[in-house]
Amino acid sequence: MNSLNFNIDNGYLEGLVRGFKGGILKQTDYLNLIQCETLEDLKLHLQSTDYGNFLANEASPLQVSVIDDKLKEKLVIEFQHMRNQSVTPLATFLDYITYSYMIDNIVLLITGTLHQRAISELIPKCHPLGSFEQMEALHIASTPAELYNAVLVDTPLASYFIDCISEQDLDELNIEIIRNALYKAYLEDFYKFCQTLGDSTGAYMSDALAFEADRRAFIITINSFGTELPKDDRAKLYPRCGKLFPDGLAALARADDYEQVRAVAEYYSEYRVLFEESSNNPGEKTLEDKFFEYEVMLMKKAFLDQFHFGIFYAYVKLKEQESRNIIWIAECVAQRHRAKIDSYIPIF
Amino acid sequence: MGSLYRSEEMASCQLFLQAEAAYACVSELGELGLVQFRDLNPDVNAFQRKFVNEVRRCEEMERKLRFLEKEIRKDEIPMLDTGDNPDAPAPREMIDLEATFEKLENEMKEVNANAEALKRNYLDLTELKHILRKTQTFFDEAMSDQGMTEESIVLLGEEAVKTSGQPLRLGFVAGVILRERIPPFERMLWRACRGNVFLRQTEILTPLEDPVTGDRVHKSVFIIFFQGDQLKSRVKKICEGFRATLYPCPETQAERREMSLGVTTRIEDLNTILSQTQDHRHRVLVAAAKDIKVWFIKVRKIKAVYHTLNMLNLDVTQKCLISECWCPIRDLEKIQMALRRGTERSGGSVPSILNRMETKEQPPTYNCTNKFTKVFQDIVDSYGVAGYREVNPAPFTIVSFPFLFSLMFGDAGHGTLMLLAAIAMVVFEKRILRQKSDNEIWNMFFDGRYIILLMGAFSLYAGLMYNDIFSKSINIFGSVWHPTSGEFSAEIIKTHKDLTLDPTNDTDYRGVPYPFGMDPAWQLSLNKIKWLNSFKMKISIIFGVGQMFFGVVLSLQNHRFFKDSISIFCEFLPQVIFLTCIFGYLIVLILHKWIAIDATDAGCAPSLLIGLINMFLLNYPEEPCSSRVPPGQKGLQSFLLILIILCVPWLLVLKPYILKRRYQATQQKSSSRLGTSTEDGKSAEDAIDGAIQDDSHGQYEEELNLLEIVVHQCIHTIEYCLGCISHTASYLRLWALSLAHAELSEVLWNMVFRVALKVDGYLGVISIYILFTPWACLTIAILLLMEALSAFLHTLRLHWIEFQSKFYKGDGYLFDPFSFDKIIESRADEV
Repeated sequence: MNSLNFNIDNGYLEGLVRGFKGGILKQTDYLNLIQCETLEDLKLHLQSTDYGNFLANEASPLQVSVIDDKLKEKLVIEFQHMRNQSVTPLATFLDYITYSYMIDNIVLLITGTLHQRAISELIPKCHPLGSFEQMEALHIASTPAELYNAVLVDTPLASYFIDCISEQDLDELNIEIIRNALYKAYLEDFYKFCQTLGDSTGAYMSDALAFEADRRAFIITINSFGTELPKDDRAKLYPRCGKLFPDGLAALARADDYEQVRAVAEYYSEYRVLFEESSNNPGEKTLEDKFFEYEVMLMKKAFLDQFHFGIFYAYVKLKEQESRNIIWIAECVAQRHRAKIDSYIPIF
Repeated sequence: MGSLYRSEEMASCQLFLQAEAAYACVSELGELGLVQFRDLNPDVNAFQRKFVNEVRRCEEMERKLRFLEKEIRKDEIPMLDTGDNPDAPAPREMIDLEATFEKLENEMKEVNANAEALKRNYLDLTELKHILRKTQTFFDEAMSDQGMTEESIVLLGEEAVKTSGQPLRLGFVAGVILRERIPPFERMLWRACRGNVFLRQTEILTPLEDPVTGDRVHKSVFIIFFQGDQLKSRVKKICEGFRATLYPCPETQAERREMSLGVTTRIEDLNTILSQTQDHRHRVLVAAAKDIKVWFIKVRKIKAVYHTLNMLNLDVTQKCLISECWCPIRDLEKIQMALRRGTERSGGSVPSILNRMETKEQPPTYNCTNKFTKVFQDIVDSYGVAGYREVNPAPFTIVSFPFLFSLMFGDAGHGTLMLLAAIAMVVFEKRILRQKSDNEIWNMFFDGRYIILLMGAFSLYAGLMYNDIFSKSINIFGSVWHPTSGEFSAEIIKTHKDLTLDPTNDTDYRGVPYPFGMDPAWQLSLNKIKWLNSFKMKISIIFGVGQMFFGVVLSLQNHRFFKDSISIFCEFLPQVIFLTCIFGYLIVLILHKWIAIDATDAGCAPSLLIGLINMFLLNYPEEPCSSRVPPGQKGLQSFLLILIILCVPWLLVLKPYILKRRYQATQQKSSSRLGTSTEDGKSAEDAIDGAIQDDSHGQYEEELNLLEIVVHQCIHTIEYCLGCISHTASYLRLWALSLAHAELSEVLWNMVFRVALKVDGYLGVISIYILFTPWACLTIAILLLMEALSAFLHTLRLHWIEFQSKFYKGDGYLFDPFSFDKIIESRADEV
């Protein structure tokens, strides 16, 4: 796809998403938000931003969950609008973005049914971007094979699921494995798809997805310490489209503790910094936060170039981060726990 | 109303309001709408201000009102707009209002909840009814098929009989599902149960109402047969997953019939209850609808007052609020009155105080307009708001705008149509205003009705001058050209298509011009366009240079008003000389050519353009009729040229030079004053006075950035000198558009309507009947709407750039008073 013809199909949407991006909260907004005493103050301040009156019709007292729902709703409305206006390569691209939410939803539902929760209780917790028709019937399945045959075979995730059918039954560990296996297949597929698009889309998306893949590899490794997950099983879950592939992944597969993971990251300049600056001490950023920060930086970069799809992905990710920030601040305000209110991740 | 020439005098005032009287006073000021408050706490966050709780309460009330409004809209009850404008209620009334809204909202919510429960019940019952009815047909079919299956069993042989011989207990579930979910539902059932279930479904023809959203949804009845408990639980789970509602369905027909009867009676009962709830809801809403507009206004007023109060400062003693505001000096009296009323209303004993204070800030620009002048003021303001007390071009625009427009749109027919449309809008003004249309394009026309009125009237006049009515001319006074009486006999006229009339010949030309406007004979002549072009071009130049000259004169008014004598001598004078020497002289040449040269010596008429170019080249070629050239012309032109050339450095250098000298002088003065102790007390005082005056005059300018001044003057000079030339050329658009308009309307006449006129007899009648419509439509769409729009835009440009650039700075900002009317109006737009 070349930039000459880009605007024919996607010019409007690119303009739109750039406009949306202008509405992302700035550092000054955050400074105002963290001064809020109550959620009502928060609402008052959000009114003066691009969010406008999105909370105006909510009866007080305000709940954090209501804010969360409304934030999601706003993003979903914007996203659906773009999805409805888009044509093939972009439409497929946008669909790919929703797949990750679908995976999360599936895992959420399976875990929920495993804990004997009613499906009606779980559905509202699912991310609306990742909802699909057969979602609510997920709980009929008791084994991965059934899950595949009855439910997922019709969804776009079917092809990702094939690797997991062999798992025997659905327990906590297996669900995690399924999630990660799905994610791995999804990331690799998305990566491949973006490569076929080529040009700057390919360039920006390969950066973004490579980072996503590497982040997952690190997190999987770190989280697997102290569980009974065998090392070779763990190695199978690493998405193989990141910068760590193949040497880094091989090294990670051998890692036994955090220090060894850190040693692996030493070889990669961009990750080394993240590991160096993070720590678990209070008052300092955790590794997770550093990853988020790095992601925000990557996503902001996507807006510097024109004529590519990366900005759609970047916008969704940035908006997600913004929701996390607002919810974090709202939670801190609501629970009167102001000590850590600053640990949001500023975007602009 | 002489004030339109310059904006109102404004005063910066300080208001001291007693804390208890502040609310009443501010609300009185809001009704008055003449005071612009300045935000005294810009650094304070929205939620840290003093009256934030009240604002929040207002928002809460607004939310409740919006909720009520939505409900009223849903029931399509008309909301009464009485046009009432209640005063902002006192703060204590707020509690009453809140209570009322609270009560209404709760009542509404309760009614809604009840209605929803009832509707849900109703939906369940109707679905059950459908299920009973539809499943009946399924079972009936099954019964009638019985014979067939038995036969086939026999055909299958003994084993089959054996297996089916045991009583096969088929279980079934029946339910209702959204119609669009059927295909995936069916697929899922098939996959999950490995084909061991049997699904029958049929559509419910009447759409059902969703109790939550109130939308109409299409649903289908289904019945699933299966065997065994395991499958049953699985089927039920799938049904749940697809949000199908399952209903118990009795197995025997008698039970089903009984149930069906029961359901029908229950539905009837529910219907009566439902209609009663609906009535109740309707009553509540109708009562609310009567007052809702007034409530909205009240709440908005309260909110606006608190917003304003939030901008005020509390003084140290906490007893009074201090505000700073701009207000027109003319209306100080009114404001005082309002304050007094406010204090009385709140029962305060200490009056509120209005204090004028000195300020260096530039006051806002406030032009008092009425419905007629507003549109012209808006045209000016959309280019840039006049600086404080700067000459306002709006009053001149009232005349010059329609006039220049009419030069381009000169057609009496089109002008009349436009005039009639505008008159209709003006006459039915009140009725249209009451309707409050939302159509943006229509509102744009309607807002501009007075300018359209003038443009129509002027175009009518210009059209008569051009003698152009739908591209035809009328012969009122009798043309002064009369070929029949001259050397051409009637025969020659009949046989020849083109004949030349000689203006020098008395028999062809009466010798006096046509008394009003263009002679109709030109309409028929072959050289019509040539003649009109020459005429309209010259007219354009004359009017254009006239307008520019007027603009330069207005700049003199500005300089005099602001006591800027340097600018008069260093800017105004050279500008006038420059303009007069080039284009004033050109106009003289034009007039000379019109008056002094007639048909007898037409061959010797000087070319204006070449003449002007030659003047600059100092080139005077020998011409055949050089005897016609006035004797002093060469000397005069050289003199003018020297003046023109002198003007440029005059404009460029003198002002920065004088400013610099002045600055140095004051510097020296102050340094000498500091250096030597004052011997002569008086002169020292003078010096101080002078220094103070200088300070007040322009301390900031005098922190002289010489470079900036020089660059600015440079740009100004270049802009003016080149501008004069290019702007004069730009005024030729008056001719160009007028030509285009006339040609277009002629083409339309010839290509469309004239075709019909050429046909004879009855057919002609029919063809006129048919062709009139396209001609009229095209005239309105192209000539009236599109051409008018283009002429309007060109006029706009001529005013904004060619005219206003001569004097208008437009660096002010609008006076934005705190006014309830404005707030309510803008909110109404939002809704």
